[in-house]
Amino acid sequence: MSPATGDQSLPTAAYLAALAALDGAGPARLRAILAERSAHDAWFGVRSGAPWVTTALGSHDRAAQWCRAAVRIDPGELLATLRANRFGAVDQRSPGYPPPLRDDPDPPAVLFADGDLAAVGDRRVAVVGTRRCTRYGHDVAIELGESLAASGVTVVSGLALGIDAAAHVGALRAQGAPPVAVVAGGLDEPYPRRNAPLWREVAAAGVVLSEAPAGVRPQRWRFPSRNRIIAGLAEVVVVVESHERGGSLYTVSEAISRDRPVMAVPGPIRSAASTGTNALIADGGHVLSRIDDVFALLDLVGTVTVGSPHQRPIADAVDRRILDALGWQPTSIDEIVAHTRLPVDDVALRLHRLENDGVVALRGRWYEQCVVAPGHRAAQST
Amino acid sequence: MLATVSSASLTGVRGHPVTVEVHVSQGLPSFTVVGLPDTSCREARDRVRAAVLSSGLEWPQTRITVNLAPSGVPKVGAGLDLAIAVGVLRAGGQLGDGDTEGFAFIGELGLDGSVRNVIGTLPLVAAARRPIVAVAPANHAEAALVPGVDVRSAPTLRAMVDALRAVEYWPQPPPAPIPPAPAPLDELAQVKGQPLARRAVEIAAAGGHHLLMVGPPGGGKSMLARSLVGLLPSLTPEEALDVMTVHSAAGLQLAPGALIERPPFRAPHHTASTVALVGGGSRALRPGEISCAHAGVLFLDELGEFPASVLDALRQPLEDGVVRIARAYGATTLPARVLLVAAMNPCPCGDAGVAGSSCRCSEGTRQRYLRRVSGPLLDRFDLRVHVDRPPASALFSSEATEPTAAVVERVAQARSIAAARGVARNADLAMSDLDTLAPLAPTARRVLEIAMDRGRLTARGVHRVRRVARTIADLAGTEGPVDECHVAGALATRIDVGTSATGLVA
Repeated sequence: MSPATGDQSLPTAAYLAALAALDGAGPARLRAILAERSAHDAWFGVRSGAPWVTTALGSHDRAAQWCRAAVRIDPGELLATLRANRFGAVDQRSPGYPPPLRDDPDPPAVLFADGDLAAVGDRRVAVVGTRRCTRYGHDVAIELGESLAASGVTVVSGLALGIDAAAHVGALRAQGAPPVAVVAGGLDEPYPRRNAPLWREVAAAGVVLSEAPAGVRPQRWRFPSRNRIIAGLAEVVVVVESHERGGSLYTVSEAISRDRPVMAVPGPIRSAASTGTNALIADGGHVLSRIDDVFALLDLVGTVTVGSPHQRPIADAVDRRILDALGWQPTSIDEIVAHTRLPVDDVALRLHRLENDGVVALRGRWYEQCVVAPGHRAAQST
Repeated sequence: MLATVSSASLTGVRGHPVTVEVHVSQGLPSFTVVGLPDTSCREARDRVRAAVLSSGLEWPQTRITVNLAPSGVPKVGAGLDLAIAVGVLRAGGQLGDGDTEGFAFIGELGLDGSVRNVIGTLPLVAAARRPIVAVAPANHAEAALVPGVDVRSAPTLRAMVDALRAVEYWPQPPPAPIPPAPAPLDELAQVKGQPLARRAVEIAAAGGHHLLMVGPPGGGKSMLARSLVGLLPSLTPEEALDVMTVHSAAGLQLAPGALIERPPFRAPHHTASTVALVGGGSRALRPGEISCAHAGVLFLDELGEFPASVLDALRQPLEDGVVRIARAYGATTLPARVLLVAAMNPCPCGDAGVAGSSCRCSEGTRQRYLRRVSGPLLDRFDLRVHVDRPPASALFSSEATEPTAAVVERVAQARSIAAARGVARNADLAMSDLDTLAPLAPTARRVLEIAMDRGRLTARGVHRVRRVARTIADLAGTEGPVDECHVAGALATRIDVGTSATGLVA
């Protein structure tokens, strides 16, 4: 009865990959054609231009386009890629499908996984934020990731640069609950490439999920789409730093539409990287004033691995002046000199010493004051 | 009949003496010029003949051969016209041999017999090595700069011949042309805020370290660069003569009467070609902007917009202090000891790295933009600072910032300390001399070691930092070993250009 009876031997994953590889195969369309049929039947329906496909997609043009495109897609080849990379593929009927997404209003129809899908644990917190973060945001994200994972809470994030990466780094450092990453592009193409080593570590320790089949470079629309999965997976979404407009705010609105609590980490009012998070707090978001706060929201008593922020006692009056000029936001040496009116060489030398003592840190050309972090120092000394 | 007349021709910025030999013999009327003339030089035949005839003089209706000796060296330009004309007149008997005794002739002729100015008069007159030099009126003042030369000028060939025959007086030289006023230098006091950049400018002036400024538009990078010239010491007489020789050869208008005192400031536009920047050309071997900036400041604004090939051509001159130009028919060196000051934006839109900026350039775009300046060239900059837009409070602050005059004193003091060590510019300190001339205090070495451990300094960078630290110590009046605060100060003026563009770090 089927035009390609020989293909019937292929497992479901092959047809899921083939369907997801169609141009414009977003979650809604895939759900529509997978609603009442197996992946195998859906694929051959699309390929043969069956009338029900037009009905399911609600568009004759799209059905015709997919019918033409399907000829060039070989499920067998896609399956070989999946197997070569040890990637899994699940749809909503698969037993491995992440349970939190089963009741989602906009669940992914197909999910590809690099790693163990069981990594999606019972308690899950998303830690998200801007790519262009400050040292402060970077450190908070690491602390959060580390504390959560150490307490057995799954850290969900997006493996982007900046906050996302820092959260994963923290989660990996704790060696506690396995990390979960949701990415926008194909699993075989780490994006951004700079994160490839971290990507592999996350896949080895936990799981990297994607709606896109292997070989797909992340198109623009896939990033907000990925953010909705992060929101869907998390019980609580913590935004560490966000600019006035940014992808993490999309995650926030997806979380709000799912009645998930959103926490924001307050930041200096003059830091561009905190304008988004401060606005969230002003709009009634939960405040993360201590790492503990996230556990309170989860009704957990967590293990906080790092200390609370307070300045260390600095005896030297001139050092004190420099730290006062530094404040708690990234500051250039120009600004410090302008505020303290000390000679440039003197400021440079004192900053050098303060950096040696771990009081300040230099990132690019910005100096930042470090918080007392016993956990970090322990981690560094071992 | 044979006549020999002295003149000179230009290769690069160097004049070399040329003897114009004119032979008039029986035969069919002809006029040949031999001795490697270039096109404009060979065309002298037509100009000279027309000029002689227009002047009411006689053109010998015989066979005329002109040899430009030494005949192996290529001659360029029309500056030999006058000497050829005088040679023909002498060979034809219209001028007595005694009339031109001790003379050299440098000038171009018009068809109407007028004597026109030539570029490079200063080196040409110096190269002619004759007690009296006749030039075009427009070149009179410039030629008079050469010591020990009696300069004569006349507006036309006829007037010159009459003066040579002693039937007329030499005409009065015209008033020297007023060169365009040099761009007013910026006063350092106008630069508000920018403590680090001001400091870098001071160090650059004191030690001759090349300076790169990275920052958004409107930060005052150009102003800082222009004010840097004001901090440099005045030129020595030898330097001044070098500078004027180059400027003369490049056809720039020289200030009349005296040697120039202030170092030149040249700011070529970023569309400049390689030849325009380093000099050369098909035959004339003209000096480029880097030679025109000799002993002064070469300012390259928008460094990232210069073609990579043009910038890479700067590397050898920066290293050697001279431009070596070699062509199939000859080679020359042009002086090019400059203080290179460059400015560039951190990204195409210019706003990267500004706190609270609206920069929308992607990370990749920024990196690509910064990569347009090659590593080896970047390495030439001992000083690299980020120049932010000053905060509004600094712009309107009534508080006095240090004026140029105050900084000039420190720079002069630092230079004299360096000179006492036998070093003109600390930037030129040889690596082998660093340990003896710029020894490090133990604490200072520790600062360098830590910087290397943190991956902020390469082995090559260490030497550069040590030279800058030496200059900072000189500025502070420290003659002993380089102290840790000098090294820390040197490190602060050496940002990593790549990460400085990334304002908030990922």
